[in-house]
Amino acid sequence: MSSTTVTHAPTERRSPSSFVRQGWVAPAAVATAAVGVMTYLGRVSPYAPGNYPTCPTLAVAGVYCPGCGALRTLHDVANLDLVGAWGMNPLTLLALPLLVGLWVAWTRRRVTGRPRTWLAPPWAMHLLLGVVLVFWVLRNVPALAPWLAPGGLVAPAFGG
Amino acid sequence: MSTPTDPQDPYNTQPPSSGGYGAPPPPPPVQYGAQGGAAGAPPNNYLVWAILSTLFCCLPLGVASIVSSTQVNSKWAMGDYAGAQDSSEKAKKFALWGAIAGAVVIVLYLVLVVGLGVFGSTLETTY
Repeated sequence: MSSTTVTHAPTERRSPSSFVRQGWVAPAAVATAAVGVMTYLGRVSPYAPGNYPTCPTLAVAGVYCPGCGALRTLHDVANLDLVGAWGMNPLTLLALPLLVGLWVAWTRRRVTGRPRTWLAPPWAMHLLLGVVLVFWVLRNVPALAPWLAPGGLVAPAFGG
Repeated sequence: MSTPTDPQDPYNTQPPSSGGYGAPPPPPPVQYGAQGGAAGAPPNNYLVWAILSTLFCCLPLGVASIVSSTQVNSKWAMGDYAGAQDSSEKAKKFALWGAIAGAVVIVLYLVLVVGLGVFGSTLETTY
């Protein structure tokens, strides 16, 4: 056999602090922040004008971006209104389980100290990219606004 | 005389496949030095950051992030481990810029709207 010394792949960089190096600290901090954000969004409504900034893409171009309506979706999720959440930004609603799943996988890696062993197949990543781009275009088509635009309202640049 | 028997190898440079030559075939070239072959953990594709920038911050950065994330997975699947590592670094950069841009947007909003009252009554919708 050839003498290939199999070195370990570079492990994830850890913070120098021994407290932070404990695996569960960072996931717990992220979970706390997420709960905090959801609580705030659930109480301070993005439906009311002036509470949050307008999406820069919408403000500048008058076109919905794939994220327009995301804050209102989170507000509705926080208040357990899944129908309302879907009506504002279905992509965000679908992304939430994915984000939770990625958080679980990350937490498991941190706690067990085991490195990443799996990457999603490329087709899944291309599908994700395609869905984002197609969603972006279609939600600006006035005929499809009732299903894909935030609140079913046609984008301003297209006569909304 | 010694006539070459193999038309593909007129100068007999290849050792016979079954025969007394003692030299073993050279080891396959190690092409992806840093990773030492197929071993090692897949690199981070920073997909979470890509999704967060796309949905909550800055569309161009978000799409660029997703493209970089996709390249990480594609190159890794093709066996291009060094390329996957490069794309991972790129995805990390986009993630960082997305986070910075998000923070800038929030701070600008707080300063302009909350602090100075600019656009006070003109904001009718929020996103």
